[in-house]
Amino acid sequence: MRAPRAAYPLTWRVMDVLERLAAIVWPSSFQRGLPYLMLMPALVLVGLLVLGLVQIGDTSLRTLDTNTFLMSESYTLANYQRVLTESFFATVAGRSLVGSVIVTVITLLLAFPYAYLMVRTPSSALRKFLLVALFLPFFIGQVVRAYGWLIILGNQGMVNEALGLVGVPPIRLLYNYPAVLFGLVQYMLPFAVLMLAPALTAIPGELESAAASLGAGWTRTFRHIVLPLSRPGLVGAGLVVLTLSLTDFAIPAILGGGTQDFIANAIYDQFFRTSDQGMGATLSLMLVAVGSMLVGVVFMLFGAGTLAMTGDRK
Amino acid sequence: MGVVAADVRRAGSIDQVAVSVKDVGMAFGDVHAVRNASFDLPQGRFLTILGPSGSGKTTLLRMIAGFDRPTSGEIFINGQPVSAVPPHKRAIGMVFQKLALFPHMTAAENVAFPLKMRRHDARTIPEKVERYLDLVRLGGYGDRRINELSGGQQQRVAIARALVFEPDLLLLDEPLAALDRKLREEMQLEFRRIQKELGVTTINVTHDQREALVVSDEIIVMNGGAIQQKARPVDAYRAPSNAFVANFIGVTNFLEGRIVELTSTQAVFESNGVRLVGIAADAALAAGLSCSGALRAEQIRIAPRGGRLDDLETVVDGQVVDCIFEGDRVVYEIRVPDLAGVLMRVFDHDPESHLQFGPGDEVRLGWNARDMHVFQK
Ligand SMILES: Nc1ncnc2c1ncn2[C@@H]1O[C@H](COP(=O)(O)OP(=O)(O)OP(=O)(O)O)[C@@H](O)[C@H]1O
Ligand SMILES: [Mg+2]
Repeated sequence: MRAPRAAYPLTWRVMDVLERLAAIVWPSSFQRGLPYLMLMPALVLVGLLVLGLVQIGDTSLRTLDTNTFLMSESYTLANYQRVLTESFFATVAGRSLVGSVIVTVITLLLAFPYAYLMVRTPSSALRKFLLVALFLPFFIGQVVRAYGWLIILGNQGMVNEALGLVGVPPIRLLYNYPAVLFGLVQYMLPFAVLMLAPALTAIPGELESAAASLGAGWTRTFRHIVLPLSRPGLVGAGLVVLTLSLTDFAIPAILGGGTQDFIANAIYDQFFRTSDQGMGATLSLMLVAVGSMLVGVVFMLFGAGTLAMTGDRK
Repeated sequence: MGVVAADVRRAGSIDQVAVSVKDVGMAFGDVHAVRNASFDLPQGRFLTILGPSGSGKTTLLRMIAGFDRPTSGEIFINGQPVSAVPPHKRAIGMVFQKLALFPHMTAAENVAFPLKMRRHDARTIPEKVERYLDLVRLGGYGDRRINELSGGQQQRVAIARALVFEPDLLLLDEPLAALDRKLREEMQLEFRRIQKELGVTTINVTHDQREALVVSDEIIVMNGGAIQQKARPVDAYRAPSNAFVANFIGVTNFLEGRIVELTSTQAVFESNGVRLVGIAADAALAAGLSCSGALRAEQIRIAPRGGRLDDLETVVDGQVVDCIFEGDRVVYEIRVPDLAGVLMRVFDHDPESHLQFGPGDEVRLGWNARDMHVFQK
């Protein structure tokens, strides 16, 4: 009795039963449908998103009746008209757009040398240090980090105290545009480095040696070899930073102190302060439109292929 | 035109030393990758550095190219010390083991790159690129992207790119290692042809002894970071300077023994009671010391037991253990009881006698004293 059981362990029998059950539920003639079945979760998610967008689109066409605090029954383009004509919205949109472009440029400028050093350094100790320094902020979270900046940059903060020691009167470092941009850059840097590092790793170090032996100094090697070859990474990182900072909420709210609202803050106010869902929905759709347009422009300028998303081998 | 210029340049400076390596060493921490390497290479020569894996060949080449700075010693190019000169200021063309072609450029752009970087007159660039693509037989392939070329074609783009700016020195780091044998042998001859045509001083690194013998004017054999021998291929083969070189190049039998008699040229040693005579190839030999006699597999003649090998100075009897047919030759493994049962490898190239012996056959081996090189053990 023992011998056959050892030759055919219990777990295998269990698997057999499971397989037979599976065959009843999902006969092998259905096999060809399997890939489509695996696509289902993604389709469901995207479908829900579309449903949500339709809902938002519907809401954006209704105005708030300030007497009854109810949404109007009939459709109107009044919200869109307000967004396009009232200067407040233009200011917020402009601030967000310009801000996210500035943040993207600065972040890429800072992230590139960081990623390059991390990938190319021969010292594994330095590489580990750079990686840990990169990941540490992730564990802290965005809101906590922003509050950290309040502590450091506030009027009674560490920076101003240090300045006070050398006799400099307190400077207002917070609640202005540069503070928000600064916070955003600091928040985005790890994302950019993490997106650039694989792209740089994919460039063999030998190419740089080859360029040197062919007569290119460091700067020209960088310009003609490293930069063009890291374009997919730069475009990818740029897109992520651009969209994330364009839609960011916490940093402008905390470091801007209500004076430096980005689009997301304006949307929040409409939904939860003035309860004007119609206006909030309109702004949301505008944000989606602007974001998509930006991504479209980047793709047109650099081509989607630069993201290494072409079918064949690079 | 440039080809002609190169010829003139070469003719004008025949026997001038192009590269001089003096006591160069490289230590990575405790690892001495290269130790006390010294050699001179005259203008226009083709030198091959040959050695087993990890013997320091790449390290030596990278120091000459300028990617690594020697921890001791100095390298001179055209008489000038170059330790302080960065790679892009040296006129050295290098073909890397993995080619290192720029994937975002076409073949022609790759070849034009060094000309642009070295600020050649922009009007002359297209014509030069075309001429060098022709030289490596890739005329008309200039517009192809690198990934649209075959392995051998990419190889040749890399060669054209390393040569197009007419460097003083061409360095090749095993660029043929990845190719299949047939293509590799073709490319070896191609290298030889181009090098002769341009007269450019060349240092080639390989662990393929056949390649070293075929393409080189001179060979340096390295082991454990140290240069073992520098010689013409035929001399390195016929007169190895030590047991390592004898073993590394060709198929060699070693017979161990003790010196009994020594003249300035000849060494007589006893192996298991048998008196053997050979050339004293090692200055450190002395009577009474243990030694080993190196004998190439193709220097041994094989005959049936009792066969007449009268013209040969040393004759021993043995038994065939194995025979391997390799097409143009048969390799016999033969056990020799008189020499403590040592296994000797013997080549038989005679097409008439191919496979005349099989395992178990009793045979007789013979060789001449001048083919046995005796080294200290
Ligand atoms: N950057 C380095 N750090 C530490 N040790 C190194 C380094 N580069 C090479 N070495 C060591 O130096 C020795 C020589 O290496 P090298 O690459 O020159 O060998 P090689 O002769 O080119 O071998 P192969 O034929 O396998 O390419 C090896 O033992 C290697 O491990
Ligand atoms: Mg090597």
